[in-house]
Amino acid sequence: MGNVLEFQHISKYFPGVKALHDICFKAYSGEVLAFLGENGAGKSTLLKVLNGDYQPEEGNYLLNGEEKHFRTPHEAIEAGISVIYQERQILLELSVAENIYLGRMPTKRAGIIDIRKANAMAQRIIDDFGLQIKPTTKVKDLSIAYQQMVEIMKAYSRDNLKVICFDEPTASLSDSEIESLFAIIKKLKSEDKIILYVSHRMNEIQQITDKAAIFKDGCYVDTVATGKVPESMMIKMMVGRDLGDIYANLDRDKDIGDVLLDVQGVSSDFVKENSFQLHAGEILGFSGLVGAGRTELMRAIIGADKLRTGRILLGGKELVNKSPKDAMRNGIVLVPEDRKLQGILANLSVSGNINISLLDQNANRFGILSTKKEAAAAAQGIRDFHIKTPDAEKKIVELSGGNQQKCIVARWLATNPKVLILDEPTKGIDVGAKAEFYQMICTFAKRGLGVILISSELPEVIGLSDRIIVMKSLRIVDEVSRGEATEDRLLSLGMIGEKAE
Amino acid sequence: MKHSAAANPAKGKKDSIFELVTNVVGGDKLVLIAAIVVVFIVFTSINKNFLSWTNVINLFVAASLVGLVAIGHTYLIIAGQNDLSPGSLAAMSGVLAALLVSWGVPLWISVIITLVVGAGVGLFNAWMVNTIKLEAFIATLVTQSIVRGVAYILCGGKPVAISDPVFIYLGKVRFLRIPLSVWITILSVVFFGFILAKTKFGRSIYAIGGNKDAARLAGLNPQRIVAICFVMMGVLCGIGGIIFAARMNSGQPAANVNLEFDAITAVILGGVSFTGGVGSMGGTVLGIILIQAFNTGLIMVNVPTFWQYVARGALLLFALTSDYLRKRNRTRELLAASMKNA
Repeated sequence: MGNVLEFQHISKYFPGVKALHDICFKAYSGEVLAFLGENGAGKSTLLKVLNGDYQPEEGNYLLNGEEKHFRTPHEAIEAGISVIYQERQILLELSVAENIYLGRMPTKRAGIIDIRKANAMAQRIIDDFGLQIKPTTKVKDLSIAYQQMVEIMKAYSRDNLKVICFDEPTASLSDSEIESLFAIIKKLKSEDKIILYVSHRMNEIQQITDKAAIFKDGCYVDTVATGKVPESMMIKMMVGRDLGDIYANLDRDKDIGDVLLDVQGVSSDFVKENSFQLHAGEILGFSGLVGAGRTELMRAIIGADKLRTGRILLGGKELVNKSPKDAMRNGIVLVPEDRKLQGILANLSVSGNINISLLDQNANRFGILSTKKEAAAAAQGIRDFHIKTPDAEKKIVELSGGNQQKCIVARWLATNPKVLILDEPTKGIDVGAKAEFYQMICTFAKRGLGVILISSELPEVIGLSDRIIVMKSLRIVDEVSRGEATEDRLLSLGMIGEKAE
Repeated sequence: MKHSAAANPAKGKKDSIFELVTNVVGGDKLVLIAAIVVVFIVFTSINKNFLSWTNVINLFVAASLVGLVAIGHTYLIIAGQNDLSPGSLAAMSGVLAALLVSWGVPLWISVIITLVVGAGVGLFNAWMVNTIKLEAFIATLVTQSIVRGVAYILCGGKPVAISDPVFIYLGKVRFLRIPLSVWITILSVVFFGFILAKTKFGRSIYAIGGNKDAARLAGLNPQRIVAICFVMMGVLCGIGGIIFAARMNSGQPAANVNLEFDAITAVILGGVSFTGGVGSMGGTVLGIILIQAFNTGLIMVNVPTFWQYVARGALLLFALTSDYLRKRNRTRELLAASMKNA
């Protein structure tokens, strides 16, 4: 008997963002369906709608023809829908068996837990999965990969499991671990489960999935058979246009000047000793895996984290940045990675957000802010960065993600920096805004700014940077010039740390 | 929010009272004004003296101490902090000032010493919050107990009588028929309200309360701003405690219990959000008037003391619920706006 999951006209809104728009499609059991799309395309949001974490504003979904509505993830699990997330959702201090049967441990009379029975039941599942672990082992003593297996077993142990979703399951797994995960997924597939698989890694999607549902900017585009449609075609459907054109059309006609920023042996509690140089008018890309220490190195440079060793020279003069404020005064600014947590001041207006780093300039000697100066700075920011807002007093959270990000960049550019550090500047913003951003970044460099671009999107780093530095395990491992950079090369440097042959 | 509303010049200068009120206190405060009117009508209908000049002045005198503390709470809660020590600190300040004067220290020096001690207590609160990273709620609970203890220790548990005529005069003097304590609170409200709405420092308070990490990365110094707010609260408690002692003719170690309770209720009623980053001084003023009218009214219509506690708790619950509802409405409005734009 096959299972069918059907989404009907699902829409989900967040303040300032249309996260999902009129999603309609079906998923069938016995096949692995990939969710494919860029960051912010709505894949994870759809999973959260499915498992009751989010409530859709419009539309509904049907499991085997029956309309479902879950108020919490717990209700979804009870109904046979489980999501395996990147971050583990298990209790480290408990044993494997206790985690698998959490909340529904077998009991003897008087409600006493029958641990023996639980262990025996868990052992059967472990054998089923062909794993080499004991039900009594504490989960904290297992590797990340096995911890994930425990989660899958937890979902599997429910008799009524119909849908199992994986959200970037391989993000922290090694190759052999990925192999065993795939074996399990194939087993689940043969048992007629509906399997949804969210991933960014194209070769994995080719390897394990049968079909791919493609998403773009919160909309469902189409479902294609993974084996039959070429990769380039799928990417084109994801981005809606050829990104190659965007990069090719950038105005890169500029001169690279002298050394502007000279970082010598800088380290902090979070990053090892690193040195590099940045020239005026240069866009310097920083590539590497998440956690390679790129953000941490920049935080050390601007004084957000305490410097352990090293010197920072700007235009030949040594700087002391004890706080981001010092760095700002010295002409180095960082547009942080997490817009929501570190960038926007959600309670303030567009004008308030742009002006927050200009308080000193906008205030007279009694500290009283000039409404005129604030309005002028806000108006300039809105004009220069094409921020789409009805007026400067609009709350920033009412704007779209891309426009919020423009406000943050406008905030920093208003301080007239010499070095602009952008940490994942296009994360979660739509393609149109991305193209606009790329042109802005080039314009900054053309004006003589030194730009550092941290990005995990390889085409972005390659398309924009004049030079690319690769970090791995908190250290700079190599430097690649624009001409030599390929995705393969950057990836292998970032993952293995050696030059690809 | 106050400062963004203030940045907008009055739209089309039609001088209807309605627009005047909305421009001064913000449109969302109309409910609060309505609540104050209702409280006054209800209590006046039960006891006609409620609206007499004497009673209204007494009400404002009683509100003056709560008001000073509420000013401090407005700053602290917008900055994402809190303070449970004001009641103890006001009591200790009264005891300390009375004691110093009784030892023959000149009044003005006694006042300065008391205010410096108040500032020191504020600094201690800031140190616990900034350096040993305690939650403000817990940190100031520590201070609440210690400072109350010190108040008792200083005077051996007995109230310190004040005989200095100038000190006593401070509690009695009136300008334009209004007592000094009320003037101090009014001027403080205007002064600190201006700073909050119009200055660099005020804007920084909103920024760190809205998003501390983002504010730091944007070049602000959250720890320093928090410290200034706590010190300011300490000084305000010192002033309030001294004036209170002057009115009572003695420094009383057991006085002002639950002072912070009333002040926090007033601030939350006035639209300051417990999550930080939102609120205004105008709202706080309305909150102070509402809670003091409520408290005085309960006494005047002879509600038994024990039931007064219950009623105050209910009022705080009401304030917190309305804070929650305001937040929910804001989110809904945002959502509706995004749906319209999409």
